Amino acid sequence: MSAGEFWDDFSKSKTGLVGLGLMLAFVLLGASGELLVPFPGASRHWRDIDYWRDNPLAAPPAWTNAFVARKGAPSSILTRFKAEKETRDDGVGIETFAFDYPFAYDRPPRDLIVRVPGSGRVPLVIWLERPDGLSAELYRDQVDLSGGGENRVSVTRDCARAAIEFVRSRDEAIADTMNADLIKPVAVLFAKAGSGNLDAPTPLKGVYEIKIRALIVSSDFSVGRPSIIVSGQVSGIMGTDAAKRDVFTGIVLGIRWALVIGILSSSVTVVAGVLLGIVAAYFGGVLDWLLTRLYELIYFLPVLPFLIVISAIFKPSIWVLIAIICAFFWTGSFKTVYGMTLQIREESFVEASRALGSGPWRIVLRHIAPMLLPYSFASMALSVPAIIVYEASVSLIGLGDATIVSWGQILESALTQGAVINGLWWWVIPPGLMIALMGMSFAFLGTALDKILHPKLKTR
Amino acid sequence: MGDMKRAGTEPVLSVRGLKLHYFTSKGAVRAVDGISFDLYPGETLGLVGESGCGKTSAGYALLGMASPPGRIVEGSILVDGTEVVGMPERSLRRDLRWSKISMVFQGAMNCLTPVYTIRELMAETYREHAPARTRDAVARGDGGIDALLAESLRLVGLPVAALGRYPHELSGGMKQRVAIAMALFLEPRVVVMDEPTTALDVIVQAQILNLVKGLKRDLGLSCVFITHDLATEAEIADRILVMYAGKMAELGSSEDIFGNDPLTGSLHPYTQMLLASTPRLHRRVSELAFIPGSPPDLIDPPEGCRFAPRCPFAKAKCHRDEPPIAELGHRHLAACWKAMEDPEYERL
Amino acid sequence: MSDSSPAEPGDIILEVRDLRKEFIARKGRARVRAVDGVSFALRRGEIIGLVGESGSGKTTIGKLIMRLIEPSSGSIEVAGFRSGSRSAVGDMAYRRRVQMVFQDPYASMNPHFRIKDVLEEPLLVHRIGKTREERMAMVASAMEKVKMTPVADFLDRHPHMLSGGQRQRIATARTLILRPSVIVADEPVSMIDLSTRAEILHLMKTIQEEMELSFIYITHDISTARYFADRIAVMYLGRIVEIGGRDEVIDNPVHPYTRALIAAVCEPEAGRAGTLRELQVRGEIPSASDIPSGCRFRTRCMYAAEECAALPEPELEDIGGGHSHACRRWKEIGWSGSP
Repeated sequence: MSAGEFWDDFSKSKTGLVGLGLMLAFVLLGASGELLVPFPGASRHWRDIDYWRDNPLAAPPAWTNAFVARKGAPSSILTRFKAEKETRDDGVGIETFAFDYPFAYDRPPRDLIVRVPGSGRVPLVIWLERPDGLSAELYRDQVDLSGGGENRVSVTRDCARAAIEFVRSRDEAIADTMNADLIKPVAVLFAKAGSGNLDAPTPLKGVYEIKIRALIVSSDFSVGRPSIIVSGQVSGIMGTDAAKRDVFTGIVLGIRWALVIGILSSSVTVVAGVLLGIVAAYFGGVLDWLLTRLYELIYFLPVLPFLIVISAIFKPSIWVLIAIICAFFWTGSFKTVYGMTLQIREESFVEASRALGSGPWRIVLRHIAPMLLPYSFASMALSVPAIIVYEASVSLIGLGDATIVSWGQILESALTQGAVINGLWWWVIPPGLMIALMGMSFAFLGTALDKILHPKLKTR
Repeated sequence: MGDMKRAGTEPVLSVRGLKLHYFTSKGAVRAVDGISFDLYPGETLGLVGESGCGKTSAGYALLGMASPPGRIVEGSILVDGTEVVGMPERSLRRDLRWSKISMVFQGAMNCLTPVYTIRELMAETYREHAPARTRDAVARGDGGIDALLAESLRLVGLPVAALGRYPHELSGGMKQRVAIAMALFLEPRVVVMDEPTTALDVIVQAQILNLVKGLKRDLGLSCVFITHDLATEAEIADRILVMYAGKMAELGSSEDIFGNDPLTGSLHPYTQMLLASTPRLHRRVSELAFIPGSPPDLIDPPEGCRFAPRCPFAKAKCHRDEPPIAELGHRHLAACWKAMEDPEYERL
Repeated sequence: MSDSSPAEPGDIILEVRDLRKEFIARKGRARVRAVDGVSFALRRGEIIGLVGESGSGKTTIGKLIMRLIEPSSGSIEVAGFRSGSRSAVGDMAYRRRVQMVFQDPYASMNPHFRIKDVLEEPLLVHRIGKTREERMAMVASAMEKVKMTPVADFLDRHPHMLSGGQRQRIATARTLILRPSVIVADEPVSMIDLSTRAEILHLMKTIQEEMELSFIYITHDISTARYFADRIAVMYLGRIVEIGGRDEVIDNPVHPYTRALIAAVCEPEAGRAGTLRELQVRGEIPSASDIPSGCRFRTRCMYAAEECAALPEPELEDIGGGHSHACRRWKEIGWSGSP
């Protein structure tokens, strides 16, 4: 069958096209992951708490705002500012950065994090100018910017007292009742003047300005481009999990692993199964006996319990897991290929080739294998769903390779960190859905391929 | 078995203008495109032609068994006075098939399910076509069904012991006899046999042909014998219909077709060339003829005579106009401008 | 090629000596003697027809000569090369000299191959032709020999795009490309339409004469054997029962089996429909795992006597003119073997 004929047949199959489309979408997403996700460095830092520090914890996806009455401020990064530079008479440089933050939501962000890169010991003043004209000083201190590390001021962490002082400037009595450890500073700062400042204050909507002033006392010291991270009530396409990780990023990373695990395993298993099947059937004898016994042994071993036991004892890496899956899965194509080879071997054209003096390898490679190759592709596609589910199952019960970001791993952390109890549906549903979706796309693809390519064994 | 001989002058099978087309996605394959013949009691008509000429399709049509996507589009088939074309399936099954006309299919001997004994296989066919009779026989006890079947076996020269055998224990010739016996259950007036001897050894073939001749003689059986081999046809057929690309080329008696005298020999160039291509055992022939080219596409057959592209006598008229079937001798028909001595043909 | 004497002025190119092949069937309980002591010789440029019914062993002999299966005993020698050589070089040297045309013109070619691949394969296996161009030139010349022209039209086609007759031409071309000494043709035209058969046979005959090839023509149809072969060997249950010039054997058969076979053949002549054909055998062919003692044909022979069962199997007896047969009682029965 030529490529043209194959495409004619394939394009008539709706399920095949759906499967193909989905698979291509997956591949595209997986390949371009870095460009799409808001956290490109995520795969290296998946278990690094510091990397995710600025994200909100367990925040629902941003689009859930459309379904609620009281809309939460979404996460974002403010990078545009107006900068002013002036030099005092004594040579000290003053740099002022002003950020605009338009706030039109019903619930203020959970945190505002100001990051100031630079070098040297720099006094910093940060204050907030509200739409109603009131301003609050948030922070005043000398910071060693060359610390290399964080250079971050978190309003929630560092500005609680400043928030209380802000309230005190308007209402001393209420300020006295406020406990720095218990209040939500951002909510307080964003509250309408006059509304109760404690539990659920009505936020003031409008454009806020956050200003940073840095004093450069020496030419060795400098300030780079600051940015402000708004840690919102809602975040991203799929929200965040209990470790503050962006779920969407995790899902996209998971695509890669799913594809790698699925395609790698299925390729290896099908190639192995086909080769072994051909060799056993064509050469017969001791080789056949050995391989068939091996097939029978492995075929009757249950995969999942075996995987579980091995994983529990040896705690293998994902590559070892893949190897074990391959060691089990080759039996699928082995048996079919075995039967097909036996039949092809009896064909007249194989006899004709033998009569010429063709060696067995020539016959296997030129006559038998090409007839089996198309079926092999269908077989590969069809085995991917099961392989993905096996990996997810092993990961789900905590025995998988925890260093990789696979959907199974995401599900595992969701279940162990209370996603179900706390109703964090955006953490649980996407990975499960993706497993199903990818399984479905390969199943569709494989079924269509099988229908078209399965050799009609009468060659007429 | 009942007296099947009848000295009538009415044909037991009468076909007029039969057309059977297969409606495929690529177009209508005009497999049988207008054949007509009469079959009288006790006569064997040979339907002969090469692969793809439509003879097997014609055989199926006689039982109203055009296999989808095939359909009888035109013509009439009268079996013992009953019109087959247009008859609903239920009536065909109840009143026609096996009781008036039956068939021994091509390769029937290889379709005997290997896990059943001959008794079980035959009983099943019997039950299919004569349920009441089978029920009575079974009700009569153990020997009942055997007695019913033994009669059929006797007709084809098989011992009753064969009933207990499995198909793989029988030789090719014996299996073919079983297939023939199964076609004769209900004493039909006409039996259609499609290549019954093609897969058999030479000597066994002769034995089966003798059997069919015996049945003709003793039971007055009329037979439509389909084969591609002219020599086999000569052995068994009283009259012969030569088909080419779905059309009738020639229809005549065995004498008409095989007679050596040029005055009484075959008329159609295709028949003549086919004869010349058939190797003979007892006549020294130094050169064997062949017909160059291959049969036409039946979805889009050529204009005019379908044999014209391969005919050495073809002229312009042949390529343009399709010759009608003309009676050119006593019950000797041919569809050929040259054979008809058509004046326009002669002129060019 | 039309006289009945096989004494051609060519040397002996193929010699088969006491060839036997036994199959073990039904898990060792049945020993099928498919070929049970066959000997004959073939000269250069000669065609021998192996005629027989099913179970005669004719196809098995073809496979033995092609070395598709190994004989149980006996030898086959082609142009001085013995079949069954243990060395790879010897094996290839033998195989180059013997080629086969198969019965089914479609099944004998890989449907995924193109015609040029089908024809190139023998060259690649035997490492003939150093470059693609060289090999393609040989392919083209083989196609011209079988009149598949213009060559370019057919090179890239797949087998299913050709008619049965065309495929058999390609199959024939495939046999010629290595310039063999002997060609085994196993029922080459039985699956081809009647009107094309003669064309293929005629083509084979032309090539055979041009290239002085020797043919083994295996068939169940003795009529085509008469047309095609110079000599005919009639086989029954694994042995040759009669062998001689084709006209001799057909016009003056001696062995009862040959006579029965010839009597059973239908001819395209008028007036046969009313008469039963007189058959000169009884019963059915015995199983090849249970061959009758003494003369193996005696269970079906109309003229069998006690000596046929009691005495050992008769060997081929030469009655002159290259005509031999294996019937002990031929003189008593009264056939002379000459016109």
